Amino acid sequence: MSLRTLFAAALAALAAAVAPAHADSPHLVSTEWLEKNLSNPKVRVIEVSVNPGVYERGHIPGAVNVRWHSDLVDRVERDIAKPEHFQALLRQSGVSQDSITVLYGDNNNWFAAWGAWVFDIYGIDNVKLLDGGRKKWEAEGRRLAAAATVPAPGNVSIRPANTALRARLADVVAAARKEANVALVDIRSADEFNGKVFAPPGVPELAVRAGHVPGAVNVTWSRLVAEDGTFKPVAEIRKLYADAGIDGRKPIITYCRIGERSSHSWFALRKLLGYDVRNYDGSWTEYGNTVGVPISNPAGTVWGST
Amino acid sequence: MTVALRARLPGAAAVLIGAALALAGFSLSEVPGDGRILAFSLASGALFGLVLQRSRFCFYCVTRDYLQVRDARGLLGIVTALALGTIGYHAVFGAFLPVPQGGQLPAGAHIGPVSWVLVLGAAVFGLGMAVSGSCISAHLYRLGEGSLASVLALLGAVAGFGLGFASWNFLYLQAIQAAPVWWLPHYLGYGGSLLLQVAVLAAVAAWLLRRHRQPGTAAAGSMRSRRLSEMFFDARWPGFAGGALVAGIGVLAYLRVAPLGVTAELGSLARTLGAAQGWLPARLEGLDTFAGCATAVKETLLSRNGVFVGGLVLASLASALAAGEFRPRLPSAGQAVRAVLGGVLMGWGALVALGCTVGTLLSGIMAAAGSGWVFALACGGGLWVGWRLLASRAD
Repeated sequence: MSLRTLFAAALAALAAAVAPAHADSPHLVSTEWLEKNLSNPKVRVIEVSVNPGVYERGHIPGAVNVRWHSDLVDRVERDIAKPEHFQALLRQSGVSQDSITVLYGDNNNWFAAWGAWVFDIYGIDNVKLLDGGRKKWEAEGRRLAAAATVPAPGNVSIRPANTALRARLADVVAAARKEANVALVDIRSADEFNGKVFAPPGVPELAVRAGHVPGAVNVTWSRLVAEDGTFKPVAEIRKLYADAGIDGRKPIITYCRIGERSSHSWFALRKLLGYDVRNYDGSWTEYGNTVGVPISNPAGTVWGST
Repeated sequence: MTVALRARLPGAAAVLIGAALALAGFSLSEVPGDGRILAFSLASGALFGLVLQRSRFCFYCVTRDYLQVRDARGLLGIVTALALGTIGYHAVFGAFLPVPQGGQLPAGAHIGPVSWVLVLGAAVFGLGMAVSGSCISAHLYRLGEGSLASVLALLGAVAGFGLGFASWNFLYLQAIQAAPVWWLPHYLGYGGSLLLQVAVLAAVAAWLLRRHRQPGTAAAGSMRSRRLSEMFFDARWPGFAGGALVAGIGVLAYLRVAPLGVTAELGSLARTLGAAQGWLPARLEGLDTFAGCATAVKETLLSRNGVFVGGLVLASLASALAAGEFRPRLPSAGQAVRAVLGGVLMGWGALVALGCTVGTLLSGIMAAAGSGWVFALACGGGLWVGWRLLASRAD
């Protein structure tokens, strides 16, 4: 290493230490910050995109690829990745105990936010979301690399799964029956919430009931983001939820169809607003198919009727 | 004066088409979201069309040249494309998927399931090539040369795709669902797979060269031209030059967008048409989960493959005009029937084999896919049977 690169690296490390990564939240980083910190050896960048071939044809230089379908969920059980698998994945991805891990992806960071939720469940520190995700990075014309990175293995150790971040069916049923003092946030589109459609356009109908969990309020995820894909200012998000009656005084459960969009809202409520939030990854595909649970279906749609 | 003017007309039209393609590329790049990719697809499609037309990169024609008069130059062009494409694909694979042994497949590469359905589909495709006179990609560039029979063949192919969709669920559940997907680097690593493929292709080339008989006509693409336009458009380009260019376009297309393929848009048209008419099963089991020439019910007018094929046809038209090879001709009744029938066979075969001579054979073998090699063998068999049948009828 020449003196010059050494100096540059030291400067970069210093910049990482002093400059705020994001004006609004310690859990977000801006595209600008990330570009300046790509050579910082502490920073690990992980792409979680849902469309295959997106990472391969150009990703943020140095980023490694994590596949939602096979890496972040269990391949047999419907569950998040098992601890031993997840720890191996992180070490392979070069994540160490002292790493700053930045997650980003396509589709408005939905699956990257799922990643952030799983990282949090397993107690990994210093995990951040790239505000605006791939979309913003590309729109700003920042450079991409096409060669996949194989980083030196990291030494991170995961902690036992933190169940306080994850809601299960019983928790949601208790909330629906008003046996628990919990606020439910349905982050799907209004048409899904009202039962006019069983699933968003282009997505298979995986539930035999339409509608929502009784008592849930509808705050569609897209209301949290600006045109460029970044989160709106924290104060604005706080007000938006407060107007819907979600002010953090009661514990919250977020859900959607399969739990990925709701990870995005979970991230906003938990990380940006600091509320007590659990994500319900079973979401409507579990709840809407469960026998003997109450639903609310304002549109009155009946599955299979012609 | 008028004669001189008329002689210049095709050249002027070719320049106009070229300019229109360039303009279309610039405006496509402004499309929000997919613009860059659409512009690249148009440009690579146009380049592909130019190369196919100038080097007569037609799988059936070059095989027939060999079978009839032992002229192996065209087939050697295909072998060149496969060998250089193999090298380029392996270079890209190293970037996309650094470690090949983990059970994963490189994103988007045309590596398909191998079953008797692939063998049957490829053989029927080969038969269809012989019956209609060309494969689908060659019909597309011949469209640019004014071949009206190619219009019929392509319409037949759309109908064939419809039959393919109708038979898909049965074939999928019978064989395709449980069929293995063979990718050489899984077993041999990148080095082994690269060496094996290049060695096999070199052996094929050596064998073809031994059996090759040089025809009496002047060699293609001699360099006696004094003008640039003459150099490009006076004689056809040699087969190996076409093959090298096809390999280059194929590798770049895979790096940037998707492997080369010419049937996705045709199949999507058939699927959209069939779905709108209620002719297709409501669900095509597993079809959309395979890498290959994917079809989809069309939701937008501009698709990547549609733009690619559009560029191919327009560039081959410009190229044919510039070379004086644009000759609109009406097929005889017999030729028309053969074109449609062959088209139907090719459409069915391309759907159940998840691609044609470009999508499954070229892009498959370049990707070291077992499915590519199986397609090549079965398609060659079908072609030979068709060629024999036609030859015996002509006798």
